[in-house]
Amino acid sequence: MIEKKFRIKNKLGIHARPAGQLVKVATRFKSAIYISRNGNEVNAKSIMGVLMLEAGHGSEVIIRINGEDEFSALEAIEELIDKRQFDEE
Amino acid sequence: MHAESAASQEMRIKGLAVSQGIAIGPAFPFGSGIQDVRPHEVAAAEVEAEVQRLTQAIENAKCELTRIGEETQERLGERSAEIFEVHILILDDPEIRGAAIRRIREERLNAEWLFLQVVEKYEQSFSHFKDEYMRARATDLQDVKRRVIRQLQGAAKSPGDGLPGPAVVFAADLMPSETIHLRRDYVLGFATELGSRTSHAAILARSLKVPSVVGLGPVCQYLVPGTPVILDGYSGQLILNPAPETLERYEKTRSLYEALSHKLARSRTLPARTKDGKDIELSANIEFFEEVQPAIADGAIGVGLYRTEYLFLMRDELPTEEEQYAEYVRIIDALHRQPIIFRTFDLGGDKAQRHFHVHQEANPFLGYRGVRLYSEREEVFRMQLRAILRASVRGRVRILIPMISSVTEMRFCRGVLESVKEELRAAAIPFDEEIPVGAMIEVPSAAVSADLIARECDFLSIGTNDLIQYTLAVDRSNRYVDQMYRAFSPSVLRLIRDTIHHGHAQGVWVGMCGEMASDPLATMALIGMGLDEFSVSPVSLLVIKDIIRRVHFDECENLAERVLSYSTADEVENYLSSVFRRKFRDLIIHDPNHPLVRREQN
Repeated sequence: MIEKKFRIKNKLGIHARPAGQLVKVATRFKSAIYISRNGNEVNAKSIMGVLMLEAGHGSEVIIRINGEDEFSALEAIEELIDKRQFDEE
Repeated sequence: MHAESAASQEMRIKGLAVSQGIAIGPAFPFGSGIQDVRPHEVAAAEVEAEVQRLTQAIENAKCELTRIGEETQERLGERSAEIFEVHILILDDPEIRGAAIRRIREERLNAEWLFLQVVEKYEQSFSHFKDEYMRARATDLQDVKRRVIRQLQGAAKSPGDGLPGPAVVFAADLMPSETIHLRRDYVLGFATELGSRTSHAAILARSLKVPSVVGLGPVCQYLVPGTPVILDGYSGQLILNPAPETLERYEKTRSLYEALSHKLARSRTLPARTKDGKDIELSANIEFFEEVQPAIADGAIGVGLYRTEYLFLMRDELPTEEEQYAEYVRIIDALHRQPIIFRTFDLGGDKAQRHFHVHQEANPFLGYRGVRLYSEREEVFRMQLRAILRASVRGRVRILIPMISSVTEMRFCRGVLESVKEELRAAAIPFDEEIPVGAMIEVPSAAVSADLIARECDFLSIGTNDLIQYTLAVDRSNRYVDQMYRAFSPSVLRLIRDTIHHGHAQGVWVGMCGEMASDPLATMALIGMGLDEFSVSPVSLLVIKDIIRRVHFDECENLAERVLSYSTADEVENYLSSVFRRKFRDLIIHDPNHPLVRREQN
């Protein structure tokens, strides 16, 4: 199992479109993937769960991954959240 | 809810104008009447059927979202379309779909009610979010919710039901069955998320003269019932929460248009005759039964182009002869012996695939379409001819063959027609023995050999849309070259002149059923070239008639001669615009979106 903390830097936070992107990335992997904020943990493959986190700009989230492809999953999520910042313009 | 506070500013959305006019009033989003949903018990034996009903409704809603997404992507790019993927993810989420299904099984209540409960629980949580942007996600849920509930309520609930008063009706798409049930006096305008100029809703809106804009994209999510809107069916603009100045400007423009159409309507029953007495046959292009009555009311002397493809595209199977016959009879009877030109099915490219197993073509517009399908699928062509011939005894019917590019094709069609007639005679089935047959002139090869083709025909009808595109080698839907699509190119004008001339020399009359016939700027030039018949879109009937009634034939001849002497489309258009401004000042409304004013500015 691996875990990593992220700060959400894009201006609008994880609103609908970024939540959709995260869910789409997460569902590509076999591992169980969770995302939590302020102690609330939800399934990162459920868009309703991710939206319910209300992870706005500047909030801190923890990604927890457990499974055979956990490392590549984390890499893909890092890329989306940190490098591409959800492709926000 | 929060949409209200977020949307109280003026907001403009561009769609596709499909039916002229300006509608000002409160919005009525289709499906906003879901407060009608009530819980009721489902018998134990029916529970699985109820689950199935919800599953089907969700799948249908997903299909709709996929379509909107594709259309939006085409028009506005990938980013704008992503929101629909999110909506699809929401519908597939176990917390939504799974939870609703589980609750149907446990609580044995109806799908509408439980789906609403599940979604509204989240909606409520969202509305308590601190972050304003996050809070606004509740509108995504509302949109998803309405879509599914509408699917569940199905055709039983038409968008006009529960219209509290005059309103602008909004919907994802309006199905024929839905539009037909609307209370006409309450519908100020139609606005849809999906659709094109030729969608059924668009055609119906035009025939009902209700301003309409389609293809607006994800608009329902910004609306709550009663949001004040302006729908501009000239420019395709939708304005939400218009500012007072905007409202004032539009009210003024609307009254100008109303005054003009009121004035034009006075010549409804007068003949389309020039001042010096030349009669012009002015008829309408139609596709559906519903369009016949309004066109006749606006003074069309008949139908100059009845597009029959609709019957072939409705379903996966081909229409039977009886189905075609019934529809043709209905339309012919509505005309009370005024003439009608049936264009035999003009399918091609993607449209024909379902029925004709057309191969993927690199250039469908240069491929297997129109009359070119008839030899391989002669039985389909014969069946349509039989249906038309049988119906022909009830009125004055003419037949028009699309996409003719050679005499050989025309001879083939006449041969088939003769053999079908022979069949009917043998079976003692009555039909009009003298039924006239014409060729559609829309391919340059047909236009330049119009004399040869006219010898095989009783009339010619010029289809300008394809003629222009083939002559100039310009695909009008390709935005890299669409500015080169010019109806007033000297090359196109020469082909039109020659076609008319050749037709007359062979003793047949020549009409026009393409868009150019509906363009007020072209009317005088076409009269001057000797065009006998104008078949126009129903909304253009009154203005074209007004122009015809205000000109002399010899003045049109002089104008045509001058127009044909110019070397570029710009020169032609500038000249025609200047004449139009001088003679028909009153027909131009100073609205920057008016087609004629817009053209001047370009």
